[in-house]
Amino acid sequence: MSAATMDAAPQRRRPRREIREITLLVVTVAIILGVGIVKPGFMHYDNLEFMVLSAVVLGLIAIGQTFVIMTSGIDLSVSAVMGLSAVVFGLASTTVHLPLAAALPLCLILGTALGSVNGVLVAWVRIPPIIATLGTYSLFGGLTFIVSNGTQVDQVSNQFARFGNGDLIPHLPVPTPVLALAAVALLAWFVLNHMIFGRNILAIGNNASAAYNAGIPVKRTLLFVYMIAGALASFGGLVFVAYTGSATATTGTGDHVELQSIAIALIGGTLISGGRGNLAGTVIGSVFLSVVITALVFLHVPAIWYSAGEGLMILAAVTLGAKRGAAR
Amino acid sequence: MNRFLPRHAWDRTLAIILIALLVAFCTLIPGFYAGFGGTLAITDQFLPFGFVAIGLAVVILTGGIDLSVGAIASLSAVIMAILTKSGGLDIWLAAVLALIIGAILGWLNGIVITSLRVEPLIATLATSFIYTSVATALAGASPPYGFGKPFGVLGNGTIALVLPVQLLMFIGIAIGFSILITRTGFGRRIVMVGYNRDAAHYAGVAVPGLLRKVYAISGFMAAFAGIVLASYYDAVRPDMGNILLLTAITMVVLGGVSIFGGEGGILGVTLGVLILGVLRQGMLIAGFSDMVTTMLTGAILLVSIAAKNLLSDRGFGYGALLLRLINSRKQEATPPNT
Amino acid sequence: MKSITKTLLLASALCSLAGIAPAHAQDKRIKVAMVPKLIGLSVFKANEKGAIAAAKKLNIQFLYTGPVTASAQGQVDIINSLIARRFNVITITSNNPTQPAPALERAMKQGIKVVSYDSDVAPDARDFFIQNTSYPAMGKAMVDSVEQYAGPDAKVAILSSTPDAAIQNAWLGAVKTYMTAHFPKMTIVTTQYGESSPSKSLSAGLNILQAYPDVTAIIAPDGAAEVGAAAAVKKLGRTGKVFVTGASDPDSIRQYVKDGIIKASPLWNEVKEGELVMNVARLAADNKLKPNDTFTVKGLGTYAVKNKVIVFSKPLVFTAANIDQYHF
Repeated sequence: MSAATMDAAPQRRRPRREIREITLLVVTVAIILGVGIVKPGFMHYDNLEFMVLSAVVLGLIAIGQTFVIMTSGIDLSVSAVMGLSAVVFGLASTTVHLPLAAALPLCLILGTALGSVNGVLVAWVRIPPIIATLGTYSLFGGLTFIVSNGTQVDQVSNQFARFGNGDLIPHLPVPTPVLALAAVALLAWFVLNHMIFGRNILAIGNNASAAYNAGIPVKRTLLFVYMIAGALASFGGLVFVAYTGSATATTGTGDHVELQSIAIALIGGTLISGGRGNLAGTVIGSVFLSVVITALVFLHVPAIWYSAGEGLMILAAVTLGAKRGAAR
Repeated sequence: MNRFLPRHAWDRTLAIILIALLVAFCTLIPGFYAGFGGTLAITDQFLPFGFVAIGLAVVILTGGIDLSVGAIASLSAVIMAILTKSGGLDIWLAAVLALIIGAILGWLNGIVITSLRVEPLIATLATSFIYTSVATALAGASPPYGFGKPFGVLGNGTIALVLPVQLLMFIGIAIGFSILITRTGFGRRIVMVGYNRDAAHYAGVAVPGLLRKVYAISGFMAAFAGIVLASYYDAVRPDMGNILLLTAITMVVLGGVSIFGGEGGILGVTLGVLILGVLRQGMLIAGFSDMVTTMLTGAILLVSIAAKNLLSDRGFGYGALLLRLINSRKQEATPPNT
Repeated sequence: MKSITKTLLLASALCSLAGIAPAHAQDKRIKVAMVPKLIGLSVFKANEKGAIAAAKKLNIQFLYTGPVTASAQGQVDIINSLIARRFNVITITSNNPTQPAPALERAMKQGIKVVSYDSDVAPDARDFFIQNTSYPAMGKAMVDSVEQYAGPDAKVAILSSTPDAAIQNAWLGAVKTYMTAHFPKMTIVTTQYGESSPSKSLSAGLNILQAYPDVTAIIAPDGAAEVGAAAAVKKLGRTGKVFVTGASDPDSIRQYVKDGIIKASPLWNEVKEGELVMNVARLAADNKLKPNDTFTVKGLGTYAVKNKVIVFSKPLVFTAANIDQYHF
């Protein structure tokens, strides 16, 4: 049904699904141990907690991205959705003193609505996902400037700040954002593995016209997938503004969150051609990137080489997984 | 395959849009028409995107993508500047070396993609991180500038007083690439790989070697854009190529190249470059802000691809049905999904 | 030329229609554009606020227009459009000193006056430059703040924007000169970059504190960087142990000044600077300012022009005592 999958080159190589996340986990632990031996501060609990914490926003967005990529799509607009949400909820918190209890559902609704625009463009207007979301990237990004009207969010209310930094459950020293990521990851895992909707996603990614012929509601499923990506991107924006306390109109787009989220999904073992996803890999992948960056700082690598270090580690992680997959 | 709108029809549509745009801007926007030469000079401001777009189009025709074009443009330009400023090399020689380096960087992308078997998207994202670091390190705290008047001709010069050098080079390159894609075996193999990689493989195409060449071409064109930018600005910066990528992709796709490969031509890309470039500059001159211009560019991309789908069989039912009824005598209606 | 006359006639007609009597009826109405590094940041908005107020008094048709990303190419596109639209004066704070220079020179050739402020362009490419404060004074203010609160043997981390940011490098040069001359025991342990992105600045700040536990002060001469550094100190509970200083607008750092993380942070009055920019634009358009000159602006003071450079003011140091007087 979807022209996207029709034209995609057939997948030539499929590393076994379990391989990538295990390699990734091994590499991540190896980095932590290796750097930890040289610089013991690296293995302290608060540094470990901080590395996971800084992976949360990207992790949330990358989970949504994983769903989209599994359908052999792609969502470039996630960074714009994230930025728009961060600005909307930051400003709502500072100007109209929006309580968190209202912001959370509103944020999911906003993200879902923005995502549904992508979904309609992809499923009904049949614009290739990369083009559709490139277009909405510009549109949503511009909307952020209109909403912010040239200003920025400087300080969110205490309630927001507590959500971004505090611990939800007393005596359990796990920050709320990390719990949020864990909850979302579990929910996503359940949807993907134990719901018909999840199987439909994979079927569409594998072969959309076969899925259509098998009676799977392809368009509706695609719409839902882009809505999920939008909702999670928006949630990521909310967590971002709660965690950092500030946001500007270039939040998300300025840091190329869209490319980072795609990178994380692919590092995690999700196939760009669709049909196979790896949620555990995505979550570990987001932590992996955060560990790599922190390790480079701990090892006193000059700051200009961080980006190169990140690039090399991405290549290393991806090829290690592939080699082992091929060897079996 | 009647699934696709015949390519020349899309090209014709683009050409009409371009002419309409030029006529409308020249008559409606005060300041846009600044004499024949003055109006042509507007192209100097966006053709570097065009050079990148043509190289990128070749990659996209194979079904791949190159996210490292911006980083290659910056890095090649920085290397050129350092070779001439610190190495004392003649600027033109340095520029030629930078082009070769750009091709090598692209070829390295091809190696990562074919030998390490990494998806083009992730491979070129990773290499772009690496190239950016190298460019930043080489450029240092105050990146070089001031390459002399003769070198400025590349980015700002005119021939016969009114014809911009950039535009002439762009036309030459576009013709060259058009011939390469349509009239040579190499070009046909590129399209074939994009259309159906397995079929190309079974037909005896050495796919990995071909892909390496294609990414080298993209790197070469990115470096070319970087050098023209260096000439236009009379300066290099390690981040000056960053803005090239997304606009170049938009130009390629607007030009009718399928993002999945195997469909499209260079003429369309050339028209896509000119339309988006003229549109942006015209809107800015008309007094729209950068924000509105960017948003409208996004909207135009969506509308035009939707229109293209509508005109071909891909579109949503009603329009496609209408078109099929009109064309039923000329074309054989094909069922969807084939 | 015709269209200028036309515009002027139209403008004056509109003025008389609206019943607005220009303050300086003898001056002709001019079009002045203010081009920030990007739109969407409060600090540039503060310049705009002052500029709008001054433009009303000076019979200036004012336009605030900038790119949506901090890109010099975006600024060049806008400069080119301003040339085509025949503006009389372009005022700009440049993303880098070299890239916009040729476009600005083109503007000058067509009789457009160019006034740069804050971040300068190449001297040949502008008529006047309004330097916010003297660089040695700015460096001294930052180092003095470190010395006063973290002691003369402080271990300092630097969190800048990018390695080639002109004004940050000028300030950091002054910081180092003053530091070695007056506090030889003070050391700079690391230099990191936040690329003027709030999220990258925050991660960089967190990484500094984790990887260099003996750091007692952070000098962050960039709006986003100072906020990121201060937020990092707050998150890791190092308030009172690590002191932050830098250059940021009061709205962004207010909470951290009140928390005692930032004790003294120099900047200048951005709103008043915007007023000065418009006054200089008016003088330049009327050819009333020589490369070496003095002039007086009502409400701002008397300024000296030295070799086309005007220093706006002494650093304005924000502390807990005075920060609530400033809102921008």
